[in-house]
Amino acid sequence: MPSPKPEPRDHDADLASIDALIDRLVPALTAKLGATHLGELEVREGEWRIRLRRPATAGWNGELRRTTDRSGRGVAAPEAHASGTRSGPAPDPGHRSVSGSNGTGPGGGHASTAHPPRPAHEDESRRVATSPAVGVFHPNARAAVGTRVRQGDVLGHVDVLGVREDVLAPADGLVGELLTEAGMAVEYGQELVVVALATPAEAAH
Amino acid sequence: MFHRILIANRGEIALRILRACRTLGVEAVVAYSEADRESLPVQLADEAICIGPADARRSYLSAPALISAAVITGCDAVHPGYGFLSEDEGFAEVVRAHDLTFIGPSADVLDRFASKEGSRRLLGSHGLPTIPGSDGMLRDDGHALDEADRIGYPVLIKPSAGGGGKGMRMVRTPRELESAIRICRSEAKSAFGDDSLYLEKWLDDNRHVEVQVAVDRFGRGIHLGERDCSVQRRHQKILEEAPTPALSLAARTELAERAVRAVVAAGYENVGTLEFLVDRDGNPYFIEINCRIQVEHPVTEMLTGVDMVGLQLRIAAGEPLALAQSDIKLTGHAIEFRINAEDPAHDFRPGAGVVSRYHAPGGPGVRMDSHLYEGYEVPPYYDSLLGKLIVWGPDRATAIARGRAALDELLVEGLTTNVEIHQALLANDAFLEGHMTTNLLDRVGSGAFLAAAARS
Repeated sequence: MPSPKPEPRDHDADLASIDALIDRLVPALTAKLGATHLGELEVREGEWRIRLRRPATAGWNGELRRTTDRSGRGVAAPEAHASGTRSGPAPDPGHRSVSGSNGTGPGGGHASTAHPPRPAHEDESRRVATSPAVGVFHPNARAAVGTRVRQGDVLGHVDVLGVREDVLAPADGLVGELLTEAGMAVEYGQELVVVALATPAEAAH
Repeated sequence: MFHRILIANRGEIALRILRACRTLGVEAVVAYSEADRESLPVQLADEAICIGPADARRSYLSAPALISAAVITGCDAVHPGYGFLSEDEGFAEVVRAHDLTFIGPSADVLDRFASKEGSRRLLGSHGLPTIPGSDGMLRDDGHALDEADRIGYPVLIKPSAGGGGKGMRMVRTPRELESAIRICRSEAKSAFGDDSLYLEKWLDDNRHVEVQVAVDRFGRGIHLGERDCSVQRRHQKILEEAPTPALSLAARTELAERAVRAVVAAGYENVGTLEFLVDRDGNPYFIEINCRIQVEHPVTEMLTGVDMVGLQLRIAAGEPLALAQSDIKLTGHAIEFRINAEDPAHDFRPGAGVVSRYHAPGGPGVRMDSHLYEGYEVPPYYDSLLGKLIVWGPDRATAIARGRAALDELLVEGLTTNVEIHQALLANDAFLEGHMTTNLLDRVGSGAFLAAAARS
């Protein structure tokens, strides 16, 4: 049974458990996924998060870049899911909300009544590319801010246990904003990339 | 024990698993489809993650979506609930391959009990009575008559090929058998290209009685009594109770003990339910095993005080059973009413819509397991179960009285429910005398049944 509120001396235990998790998880995943395109994996344990990243240019050679940081609330905020309750008291009543970017805000939870809700970042002038699956988000070069895209263009993919699900541009326009960082865990339907709609004049070009 | 569990289900059972997790101090992540965004388990969870659209094939039935959700939220186990992927050995295997624990029997065990026929043979070989049948295929009329005599009439003639009740005939006398067997042979020949037939004993008015067992990883097993699920409509259970009015204390104790001995010997693991048909003379016949937590598990919880979902978690986490058989005391009588979004006036057509008012009944021995709340929109995509009203009393009469009061107090407005069928049951002599059989509602017709209750 995990202790709900770890003491500082638990850090070593946390690290040990993270190491254990990686030792178990990574070989299992890599063996399972084989030659797939697993590029990044983030694992969380208590206050710690560990991201495994394959160098973008190199093939999978087992070399891991391990990023371990203190994942305070500030870091967790834009992410796909709230950090575990081991990090102490729930930061706010909206803690359970996994849609960090759905605009409902702290305490708002899932307040909309219709499903699926209209993406919060959409209005008359922009559309939002949403996640086609639950997994890890990898934008590609076309998702760079300012890039002109056509409806249906692939802006990246969500990695679902090694299977890529394409993230598609919802309309013609310019990439305006990335709502989720590369390498973040995302849920189905999560808003990922804002596309500012092309005006009729622009579209004519 | 686990650190964090992904609840891969919805509705009342997602809520029930969440409650078990809270009790054990385990974090829970609720996986939900877009249609369940506003559901109670999603709102109450430590964390919730949207795994796909309303279509269950892309959400609650999608192994990649569920496992991906478990991995990215840092879960170490997956609870499948009931239905969906709860008894899917392929899913259990993939869960394990991702270093997660499947909360239920292992893939090997699920595989061993996957086929009804195989389970009957396996548990039959470990001492459970199965429905008597002919020894292999019928060679000729003489062989058929001999076998029918040995089994005892009435018997069911069944084609070896085919299935789903096709080409079967029930006969009550040797003369009927002789004429029917010729028709069955030619029908089977033309329908399946195979005229092999066999015989099975026909159980006229049977009861459905099931035994709840729990077996830990170390091969220690206990039973938690039985439940009677004879009140069925088109093979769907609508009311369950325990103890069964069909068997004496000695008979049900013996049945439960035989059941747990057989599953332990056959290598079963975790909680499970063995279903039996019981004939008019009280003879039980094993028909199948359910390798999951069942909808009607609260009936057992009311009698034993054991948290069945908590027990399931502990066994899956590798803990030895903390309970001995002598710790299991079956006290009083419990009845569960399945409250479904169904319209009894229109052939129990399932419904959906917004719950405009909701009140759950209370009082001594009354429990409501439901994910409803005022303003909740019941989505049309999934099963029609809105919740379960469970009542307990020191004896059956008290449980029935509490059931009547609780059903009257229950308030669900905005959609039509099947509450009136339960009220009709509690006014029906066959039920009150404990004589319900699995075919009774369908034979009388649910409409006629309701009308009779209204007149009385």
